[in-house]
Order: sequence, then C-alpha cells, then structure tokens
Amino acid sequence: MAKIEIEIDGKLVNARAGEMLIAVTDRESISVPRFCYHKKLSISANCRMCLVDVEGAPKPQPACSTPIADGMKIHTQNEKAKASQKAVMEFLLINHPLDCPICDQGGECELQDVAMDYGSDVSRFTEGKRIVADSDIGALIQTDMTRCIHCTRCVRFGAEIAGIMEMGGTGRGEDMKIEPFLTEGIQSELSGNMIDVCPVGALTSKPFRYELRSWQMNSMSNIARHDLVGSNIYTQTYKGKVKRIVARDNDDTNETWISDRDRFSYEGLAHENRLLAPQIKVEGEWKEVEWNVALDFATRGLGNSVLNNHQSDQLGALASNTATLEEFHLLQKILRELGSENIDHRLNVKNLNSPIALDSNVKLVNLENMDHALIIGSYTRLEQPMVNHRLRKASLKGATVDVINAMEFDFNYSINSENIIAPNKVVATLAGVLKVVLESKQQELPDYLTSVKTDDVITELAEKLLAEGQSVIVLGEHVINNDSAASIANLITNIAKQTKSSTLNLSASGNSMAANLSGFVPGKGGLDVNAMLESELKAYILLDVYPHYDFHHSIKAIDALNKDGAFIISLNSFKDKDVANYSDVMLPISCFYETSGSHVNIEGEIQSFTASVSAPSDTKPAWKVLKVLADLLELPGFHYADSAQVTSEITHQSHKSHVHDENIDLTTKQGIQIIWQKSPYAVDALSRHAISLQATKIGQMNSASMNKATAKKLEMTQGDEYLGVPAIISETVANNCVFVNANRSTQAGGQS
Amino acid sequence: MIKSIKKIVKDFTLSELRGGLKITAKELINKKITVQFPEERTPISPRFRGLHALRRYPNGEERCIACKLCEAVCPANAITIESEMRDDGTRRTTQYDIDLFKCIFCGFCEEACPVDAIVETQIFEYAFVGSRDGNDNIKGQFGSVITKDQLLEVGDKNKKMIDQTKLEDSKYK
Repeated sequence: MAKIEIEIDGKLVNARAGEMLIAVTDRESISVPRFCYHKKLSISANCRMCLVDVEGAPKPQPACSTPIADGMKIHTQNEKAKASQKAVMEFLLINHPLDCPICDQGGECELQDVAMDYGSDVSRFTEGKRIVADSDIGALIQTDMTRCIHCTRCVRFGAEIAGIMEMGGTGRGEDMKIEPFLTEGIQSELSGNMIDVCPVGALTSKPFRYELRSWQMNSMSNIARHDLVGSNIYTQTYKGKVKRIVARDNDDTNETWISDRDRFSYEGLAHENRLLAPQIKVEGEWKEVEWNVALDFATRGLGNSVLNNHQSDQLGALASNTATLEEFHLLQKILRELGSENIDHRLNVKNLNSPIALDSNVKLVNLENMDHALIIGSYTRLEQPMVNHRLRKASLKGATVDVINAMEFDFNYSINSENIIAPNKVVATLAGVLKVVLESKQQELPDYLTSVKTDDVITELAEKLLAEGQSVIVLGEHVINNDSAASIANLITNIAKQTKSSTLNLSASGNSMAANLSGFVPGKGGLDVNAMLESELKAYILLDVYPHYDFHHSIKAIDALNKDGAFIISLNSFKDKDVANYSDVMLPISCFYETSGSHVNIEGEIQSFTASVSAPSDTKPAWKVLKVLADLLELPGFHYADSAQVTSEITHQSHKSHVHDENIDLTTKQGIQIIWQKSPYAVDALSRHAISLQATKIGQMNSASMNKATAKKLEMTQGDEYLGVPAIISETVANNCVFVNANRSTQAGGQS
Repeated sequence: MIKSIKKIVKDFTLSELRGGLKITAKELINKKITVQFPEERTPISPRFRGLHALRRYPNGEERCIACKLCEAVCPANAITIESEMRDDGTRRTTQYDIDLFKCIFCGFCEEACPVDAIVETQIFEYAFVGSRDGNDNIKGQFGSVITKDQLLEVGDKNKKMIDQTKLEDSKYK
C-alpha cells in the first residue's frame, strides 16, 4: 500500500493509505481513549470514545473507523476533541454503577482509567440508573451486566474469533442488554478471552471472584503446556500462589488469545490432592520422610534391584507428556548413563512397533494463509484450540476444509465435506486419494495401490489437494491407536509430497515434542513402554505418571507395575491411589508454573520459562530431583546450577534424524473399532484438578457414542455403561465405531 | 545620655520585676488550666486520629467490603486484608489486621474508605496485652496487631462516640 504522510497534533507521521487512524496513533504512542476498538476484532465504532478532530470535517470523527488520507490533519487533544470525548464519557457514566470498590476489574479497568482523564467529578444525571438482571453463564465467567457499556467486544469476539456467537445484544437504546442467547450458558473453549476483552467489570473471572485486587499481584511471563502450541501467558501471583492467568501477546503462537484450559487450569495447583511430602514404603506402610532419606532409599533400592547385579537393562523410565524438556533430558541421561535404553513417553500408544512418523512443516502463522486443509482424525477445536483458531481464520479467508473423522464434530467454521468413516477405512480412503493424485500426475502406481478402489468422494478429496494454492494435511490424535496408524502417516507423507502440501502432526499432545527432541524414546536395544510392561522389569523411574489416565491400557499397566519385586520410584505432583499401590518411593515434584523449564511447540520452537512461584511445601522441581538422584548414583556430567544450563546442553547436542519404516500396509481388521479420546479438560493432572474447568460442559464430557446399528451389535441402549462410560446412541458416529470421550478413569480403562 | 538615665531609673524601681509579679498575681486569681487526667479531660477535636474501629450499618451488617483501598493507600503497610465471596454473594473480608506498631495514624485509611467502614476514633489510651496476637484470656484487649473482630468490637462499643464525631465533622467535608 502507498505510503502517505499525515499530521497528528502538529507532528508529521508516516502511514499506509487506508489504515485506520487509531492504528496509526497506537503505533506512534499517541493516546486516544477507546472502548469498543480492539486490534484483533472488527471495527464497530459504537462507543464513540475515540472521537478526534479532523481538520476540514464538520464534526469530530471516530479514530477507529476513520481511514487516513494523504495530508490529513488531526488533533487528538484540542478543545473540540476533548469536549466531545468528555461528552461521550458523561453519557457512558450515566448508567455505569459506582461500585468500583467491589468490582474485580477495579484497578485494571479501562473505563476507570479513562474516567480519571475525561470524567467529570459531578454527575448531572438525577434520574434512576439502569439495572440489568444477571444470568448464570457457566462456571468460568461471572457477569455483572449492570456495568456493561455496550462496547460489544464480547459479542464480536464470539462471532469472529470463537466462532459461536454466544453473547448478543437484544433491545434498543435504554433497554439494550448484552446477554447469552442460550440458557445453558457459554460453551466455547475460548470463552475466557471475553474476560480479557471486556473493558469494564461486566465479565470477570468466576474462580477469581473477589479474591484479590489487580494491584496486589505480580505478573510473570510463562508458557502454558497443555497443548502443542505453548500459548504465551502471564501468571499473576500473590504470596507465592498463582491466582490468575491472562494471555500474553505473541503473534507467532497464540496472538492475544488463550484457551480456557490454559487460563483456568491453575486452580489445580492449590488442590488438596497435591502430593506434598516425600514418602517411602516400609513393610507395606507409607511413611513421610525427609528428602535425603527418601533419595537414599531410592538409590539403595535401585542398587539392590538392578545396579548391583549389573542388570541395568532391567531398569525403565516412563514419563507423561507434561514434563519439561529439561526433565525429559535429565531422566533419559540418567538411564543412558546407567546403561539402560528402556525409555519412553508414548504411554497411550497401543502399537509402538510402527509408530506414526509424520513431520510438521508448517508455521502456525502460515496456517491461516492456507487455501485448503484436510483434517484426519481430529476434533481440532477442543483438542488443539489455538491451531483450530488459525484454521478457522484460513477458512474465513476462503479456504476449504475437508474432514475425515469417525464422528461428526461441531467445527466452528464451514466444512467443505465431512467424511464420517470407521477408523479401519481411513487407510483405504487415503490410499485412494494417493492413487487419484498419482494418476492425475500420470505417475506409475506402486503395487499396493493397483487394487485400491476410488469413488467420487475420494476423487474430490484428491482434487482439492491437487488444486492450485497452498494446502495442509492435519493428522489428529484419534489416529494414534488406529491399527494402520503408521501406514496412514506414510500415505499422508506421500500425498503431501505429490501435492506439495504441508503436513501438521497433531497426534502428539502436551510437551511430547520436547520428549522427541531430548531423545526420550527407546534407543538401540531398548524397550518401548508396552514391551517394558510385558517383560516385567525390576525397577522403574516414573515421571508424573498417572496410570489410570496416561496408559493406553490402564488395567494391564497397573497390573504389570503392581507385580511383586519391581522397585518403583514415582515422581508425582498429585496423589494417586494406583501410584501409591505400586510405588516404593513417592517424590513430590512441583507442577507446571512452579518450575523452570522449556516447552517445545509444534513448530519446534523452544519456549523457555522461569518458575512463577516457588514450589509449595516440601515439593521440589523435578529437574532438581533428577539432578540430585544422578549425583547420588555417582553419575558424571550432572553439574547444573540451573535449568537453563540443561536447556543449552540439549540445544547444543546434535540430533539424529529418525529413520523410519516407510511401509504401507492396507490390510485392516474388521469388527467394531473404538477410538478412546481423553476429554479435552482431562489431558493432564493439573487440568483434571481444576474444579471450575471440570464443571464446564466440555469438562464433563464423558460418553461412548455409537450409532444404532453398532449399539445393536454390542447389545447396548442409551445410558448403558460401555467400558465404564455411559453410552450415547447417535447417528453422527460412523458405523462399526465407538467414539469414547472419557474425563475420568474407568474401571475397564484403556482400549480393546 | 537620656537613654542611660532612663535605664538607671527603671532598674532601681524594679519595674520589670513588678511587671512579672503582676502576671503571677493575675494567674493566682484566674481560673486554672491544668487538667487532672484521667479524672479530668480536655476536649478532643472530632478529627482526632486515635485507635481504629470498623463500623457497622444500622442493621448490624459490617460496612467493610474488602475493596482494599485502605491497604493500598496505607503509607506504613500496616493493613492486611484477605477477601472472599460470602455465601450470600457479597464481597467481605476474612481477615482485617492493622499492625498498630507500624501504623502512623495518618488517617489515610479513613479518607480512602468508600463506605466509611474503617475510622480512627478519639480513643488514645489503650495498652497492648500479650505479644503480637494479644492474649485470648483477657477479653476486650488486643495485641499489637488488632484483628477484624477486635476492630468491630471497638466500633460497637464506641458507636455513639464515632457517630457523634462523624456528625460534627461532616460540615467540613
């Protein structure tokens, strides 16, 4: 766009033609008061607070919706501008209650700040103020709609960003109300952002209600580790406790938004179920001891069970996906120094002989420039909300999105074609797509494709990928336990290569990119998690593992770990019945924002963070525990003073590129297939302990969905328990498929 | 020359001594200004800033809404407040402590209070019993840190005095 020059308050400023005036003043740090304008939302110009004087215009103009033109002369501070801003402020304050002392927004309120500059200290309004009745809109957001100034930021946020217009304005003039349309409240997985965008105290955080004033807290930068994006956040702390989490701007990852999971999971930190003291099991009884006693007990136990007999191959290490990069690195280093290669973090994968191998080669920012996306096996909206947000942006720009899923999901953008097929047919469909792609390029077909059948649907999927423009193929979490997972991944790699598409592998979760980066996978001769459990190792070190939730087959795993004779060291931040049953030592470790470390996101970006609060009670950061454990085992090379030294050691080591099997096998099993998906707010221990999150509709997702025909085969009716999860009969699920979304452990556990 | 003569006359007639004795004699007859504290008391300004108290509304509801403005404005960091949502949905304090050793009796807390909950009374004769947290065995007394209940008690006991001084001072606000 053409560069032009305009004059603001007598100062010449460069700008691009067509920019809105407020964008220029913001860039030049010229303050213009505003309520309805938000840089990431559309312009509605309804609060009129940003009126400025434009020379030549008969009336003051709103800066947020005045496009600039060459030679424009603007006054933001002259009498005319000030007088109009004061007049607008007076109108806004007519109905705004004077309850700042009890308002949670007090101290960080845009209306309060602007009123200090532009408000009058005497009200001329003698009539009664408007009072608006509140409705309960869920466990996360508290409303005080009397305070609302009708800026409609929340309405626009819902319509434009969250994709569900949950809040809306009804009535006109004095009777206008902002309220949710539905009685069941706000359902969006991004709803917490409405709290951030609300300029007044109409929408505030419910779990934080009346706890503290904004000026009492310290803000610390941190990274949320619940998904593959690593949203940038501020943790706001008071007296060593995380009290609130708000979004931090980073246009490369989360823009200005964060998911509710990132925002409200902090509640779990203060849960009574935290493991707070080191414990050792003496003759079957748990005993709280000092750290040195517990660590001595642990090293002696390791010595007796494996090390003294030179059986280090009988030692295994397992970690959940929420550990930090440094924790993964130190644990694998301990194991490898001791001479064991039995290391794994892929606890929820059934078949590790041929795991999914698919690179992600697209930046999150570029996702929104895609012209086409093919999503396979993912309910991206709830599983990876910030990735979904980018895809939604692409879709709004005109991208077409095709979906291959086992169940119809509620995507918040228009889907070009939603193909609901059973998991065992995914591989054939993709093979068909590859066949069409190769045929259209007149290339020779490999043997396995010759007998593959194609139909109109498959041809259309392929044509979309072949069409001009950028496309991306997204592989989701529902595929990890598909019998043909590896083949699906390899087919995608081939299709992407032929169609010049990008790929995005969302089949991992949490911080598993960090596990891969630090080499937290079995090395040469090492056993993977399933092999370890089968071969009944003599000792384990388990890092934040909760067997009921983390393992693919929890019952089998718990049985295997409970076998007599195995010495188990568990590092956990929460108490767990099963952990207590099988462990010999339980070491309390700090959780999420209590430790320093790094998160590796889907782009491979290492985002480091420091601890926002110190570890509570007797807990210690896991990297320190592992370092001391290594020192006690007299292992060389563990001289770290802080976690940043560990990080630099990892980033300086060269990484072997994994050589993986490129075999494609199209044979599939028949029969009923199960997809067992953790519900979005049950992905890690912290969110499982966040009470408000669990009270939301997404938090309570706990169902086994199947269609009528499948239910008949399984002899199920609505509400029956299927593997301990209530069954829901719905025709949105593919035939011969059960889609389980479980939010808590079940007695039956795992997948078939 | 005339100056020195005048001085000699003044010195020899003891005029300054008589001037001083005149005041003594006058004060002998005048009303005494010495007050026999504590039996007798001088009047105190309604703006006197003595011991703190928390007030209640006429219906018995505590006024404090835990806005923490007094805590924020306190130059000596003497006030500590913790808040919660009470069962009826209102914002209330769970803790309201004033460290009387830290307090400099500036009266800012009273000025900052939007609901006239915290006030400084005219009470200035009090003692701390026990150490910091007081002695539970002696009723109505407090340690150097006065708590919410004790502050409310001071307010309840001295309601009349507080209301009276507020009324007197209201003309000048």
